[in-house]
Amino acid sequence: MTNPTDLELIDRWRHEPAPLLPILHAFHDRDGYLSEEAIRTVADELRIPAADLFGTVTFYHHFSRSAPGQSAPRVCTGPICRLHGAETMLSDLQDQGATPMPCSGRCDVPIPVLKGHTTLSGLTAESLTPSRSPLPDPNPAGQVECVFAHIREPDRTSLAGYERTGGYEALTKAVKTLTPEAVIDMVDRSGLAGRGGAGFPTGRKWHYVRTAPGDPKTVVCNADEGEPGCFKDRTIMDYDPHGLIEGMVIAGYATGATRGFIYLRYEYPETELVLTQALAAAEAAGFVGDHILGSDFSFNLYIRRGAGAYICGEETSLLNSLEGKHPFPRNRPPYPTTNGFEDLPTVVNNVETLASVAPIVRHGADWYQSLGLGDHAGTKIISLSGDVRRPGNYEVPIGLPLQTLINDWAGGPLSGRTVQAVTMAGLSGGFLAGDDLNITLDDPTIRQKGSYLGAGGIMVFDDSRSMIEVAHDAMEFFAHESCGKCFPCRIGTTRLTERLNGEAKNLTHDQWLIEVEDLGRTMKETSACGLGQAAPLVTESLVRYFGDEVRKYVENSS
Amino acid sequence: MNQNGHHPKQKTIILNGREVAFFEGETVYEVAQRNQQDIPTLCYDDRLEPFGGCRLCVVDVEGMRNPVASCTFQATPGLVVNTHTERIETHRKTLLEMVVSENRELEVDPLRGYASQELTDLVSLYEAQTGRFQGSQSGTTNTEDDNPFIFRDYDLCISCYRCVRVCAEEEGDYAISIMNRGFETQITTEFNGLLKDSACTFCGQCVQTCPTGALGDLKAMRAASIPLPIAKTRTICPYCGVGCSVDVLTKGDQIVGIHPAMDGPANEGALCIKGQFAFDFVQHGDRLKTPLIRGEDGRFHPASWDEALDRAADGFQKVEEQYGRHAVYGVASGRAPHEAAYTMQKFIRAGYGTHNIDNCSRA
Repeated sequence: MTNPTDLELIDRWRHEPAPLLPILHAFHDRDGYLSEEAIRTVADELRIPAADLFGTVTFYHHFSRSAPGQSAPRVCTGPICRLHGAETMLSDLQDQGATPMPCSGRCDVPIPVLKGHTTLSGLTAESLTPSRSPLPDPNPAGQVECVFAHIREPDRTSLAGYERTGGYEALTKAVKTLTPEAVIDMVDRSGLAGRGGAGFPTGRKWHYVRTAPGDPKTVVCNADEGEPGCFKDRTIMDYDPHGLIEGMVIAGYATGATRGFIYLRYEYPETELVLTQALAAAEAAGFVGDHILGSDFSFNLYIRRGAGAYICGEETSLLNSLEGKHPFPRNRPPYPTTNGFEDLPTVVNNVETLASVAPIVRHGADWYQSLGLGDHAGTKIISLSGDVRRPGNYEVPIGLPLQTLINDWAGGPLSGRTVQAVTMAGLSGGFLAGDDLNITLDDPTIRQKGSYLGAGGIMVFDDSRSMIEVAHDAMEFFAHESCGKCFPCRIGTTRLTERLNGEAKNLTHDQWLIEVEDLGRTMKETSACGLGQAAPLVTESLVRYFGDEVRKYVENSS
Repeated sequence: MNQNGHHPKQKTIILNGREVAFFEGETVYEVAQRNQQDIPTLCYDDRLEPFGGCRLCVVDVEGMRNPVASCTFQATPGLVVNTHTERIETHRKTLLEMVVSENRELEVDPLRGYASQELTDLVSLYEAQTGRFQGSQSGTTNTEDDNPFIFRDYDLCISCYRCVRVCAEEEGDYAISIMNRGFETQITTEFNGLLKDSACTFCGQCVQTCPTGALGDLKAMRAASIPLPIAKTRTICPYCGVGCSVDVLTKGDQIVGIHPAMDGPANEGALCIKGQFAFDFVQHGDRLKTPLIRGEDGRFHPASWDEALDRAADGFQKVEEQYGRHAVYGVASGRAPHEAAYTMQKFIRAGYGTHNIDNCSRA
């Protein structure tokens, strides 16, 4: 088979919405990298200024501009993989042109190495084997689950397997028996809130989009799971792709949207295949496309793959990325609910949020409400990783004590060790330690401690770990991923990293503390998006819980 | 009218304790500017879409936990805004100290460009301490860019992207863009080549909007060592019919540079390569200092003004007598002063009674 020509690659996508990323990926896959000639051709054909397209390509970490490029190994050097020896792996694969990549969302199967479209994993370069997502263990406490309720059923990814336990019944119920407003009301009453981190009430967001002027409206699934320590969305998509698709179509029905996108992170190539096959099956069965279930409601769904940029998990960066623009976050307000994809009303929801929708529509708002403990509504999937016996994804009732999760559900720390600290919200929530480990997993409680639950990544560090190093690696990640749009984040993440790597040698302990506090305060309060606002939680919590270690570290480095 | 002098139907906000009116769509920053409440900025240029990058313009809005960027935040009725609270001023000072920490030097010659003193002035105003937050410096300098007009010293770049935005939004060239991300961000051309190989038209607008002198006017910078103050004279660019307002910069008797007039009604700060950079001819060594008359030998010979004018008048008269007044056609030079152009057309129109008058660079 001969390679497709430039124009064939471009013509495959140019008439679909959001064509730039798939076109760039097509060239990247064909040639192994994005040549100057390829970028010029795409710029000409899509009428994008060459300088703009060049700049945008350089923004994405995974677009190579020279060989070996696309097929060279990328080694995850996220916080958990570093604990397992990722740096050794990286140097062992140097001869193959290996490059590091930030947390690639597989903290449950370290150390992932991405080669082209294949994910390998292993603890040494010799032991690398193709890696699948582990299925979540059956709920250790026998709790009723929402998202994971049927995920362990065999053949769940096929349409038949999905339909065997009520798949697409919710969509059928919604389209045939409920008005869009009734669906929104049901989601609203369930208490479902954004599971990607922000926790905005889903029903209210849908209502805003439904009532916002402008067509066509869009549903975007944020599957750019880039937060270190988070790997739940991958598991959902790998084992229950129809659960996500059904939730998206219902969201389309409720909001009046006629098109949807799944924006999938680059690091999940196998997941793209699973989603593509599931989408084709759903289209063939009439659950996606024109006149769904014989109604007037039509909804087309497209899968778009990111190219390696944490910031594209920020919803307005994601929208710019989809539109082929430089993926800086937008200024808000206006919000995507009124000015989203192509400046039209848009729902942006996380995978887990959308995967919760079909069960809610099937079982009712009260059912979902009741899954939480006490006054809390619903469930949350926690990606638990690091120094625990059984890392993995756990669907917990909101309000579950953290200690119950770590000790009872996940088997507790490794033998002879104690838990020194955990991260919250992946990395963005900073650390909790000491008595604050006795929290319950719900946002009001965690926010009292100056942190937040976020996307639900919790990394555990036992007493063998240097928290200064962990904090440094965390801040280095934020500096690496800072987009460069706003001053406090662009400069602040770098300055805080330097203050954790021994480079700021001329500071006394007092000066160090004042500088770190001043940087942190201004980043928190003036940064343009969540990245810069959250990053200083790392240093803030480090100083709060590990003041003695900080003092020793600063005194030793000066 | 109510007690504050506003029409009851007019929408208002409370700005620093005073009720002030706003127009639909106005940002808080614009309302504050109109009411003489100066808010510092570095990424703002009122000709461009608000960007919200530098965060210096943050203000406190009642009911909002974090400060908001006033340049992007639209006024809504009843908004209570404070632009200079202690917390806001502290943030501004810290932000300026952060910006200074990534730059090699603060003092740059004002001849680099119109806005080149913005950062330096703000650092003085806020008494921001230089030397805090020390660490690596951002930006890779590109002073080797081989062109006679634009100096690119990215050691001084603070990533406000005003150059990129003015190039796209005002000039429509899209010659430069943003490469990489975060602290590694770098202003680039397509494939990081030279400006002359890019879509750049050397209009110089990037230079004039740069708030740190990272971009400099190479022609003006030649005069940096002349120990005289810079004087500005407002005039209109003579090159074409658009009528761009410019400020001619002089040191003593010497023209050293051109600034576009940001308040010029025709250009609002825009110029083209000629208006911006082509002024050397005025004081060029090759310029004639005395009239020349072509002699019988076919060569030019210096002459007095009387001789030269007599000779010219003689020629004009002969043409008119022989072929009539419409046989005369005057073309004024774009490099001549406006007064000369005016006199020229007067001479042709009033003197000969013909409309055969034009200018070499009629656009």
